[in-house]
Amino acid sequence: MLRQALIIAALALAPAIGQAIYFHDRVSWHSPVPASEMVTVDQARAWGANAIWIDARPDADYAREHVPGAISLNEDRWNELLPGLLTVWSPDKKLVVYCSSQSCNASREVARRLRDEAQLKNVFVLDGGWEAWLRKK
Amino acid sequence: MTSAPSNIKPQTSNVALRIVDLFVGGVFIYAGAIKAHDPLRFAYDVDNYKILPWAVSVRLAFYLPWLEIVCGIALIFRFLYRGGLSILIALSLIFIGATVAAKARGLDITCGCFGHVSQHWSFPLHLAIDLAIFVPLAALLLIELFPKPAR
Repeated sequence: MLRQALIIAALALAPAIGQAIYFHDRVSWHSPVPASEMVTVDQARAWGANAIWIDARPDADYAREHVPGAISLNEDRWNELLPGLLTVWSPDKKLVVYCSSQSCNASREVARRLRDEAQLKNVFVLDGGWEAWLRKK
Repeated sequence: MTSAPSNIKPQTSNVALRIVDLFVGGVFIYAGAIKAHDPLRFAYDVDNYKILPWAVSVRLAFYLPWLEIVCGIALIFRFLYRGGLSILIALSLIFIGATVAAKARGLDITCGCFGHVSQHWSFPLHLAIDLAIFVPLAALLLIELFPKPAR
């Protein structure tokens, strides 16, 4: 059984290495989000009207409470909500994406899609998310 | 003529086991394929558990989906069958342990088990699905290791 398991583990290694080579330039291998793409609550607040806050949490969380003026943009309703963001976006604006906490994933994913799919620049992920904003409220 | 009815039961149970093999194998191939399609998203999901450093999480994110796919194929074709079962059982136990640990630490996790579909799964649903996958795997391995003696 152990020998079989080792053979399977080795078989899976081949496509994994191939894929990792293919993705090599597109992946940050040392940190999940480069420091240059993170922003703290204080920094984002200092941007004032130049910042567009984007709430990447589910609709129910956004409806309950959100950063004042924040626009909802989550992956569940991406195609529906993206046009709303684009109407207020301009090249000089900085986009600050947040989700519920430090450990959530949605803000990073929404930020990635804004860069890769919507081709927007100046997209930042809020360090600590909604919880960090609440602490600094 | 009289021996025919006694053969029906073992054949039926073999068919049932094959169906379970196909189902569980298919689930892991599906889950692996979704994650292999977007390894970066899966890397974030692994990182969310805050158990491993990012450098390890991102490498696992490239490897685990393919491991699931190869194990799923092993179950379906009964090729390296025991090895595939034992790896999937180990993975399921790790997923269950990591999910419980994340919940205990109050983390807002996305399990990433089935890509975007599983993004908003609650903790009980995570656990229920992990267990629903683990139980048939454990049963298949037990039956494989300790088959009923033929009468």
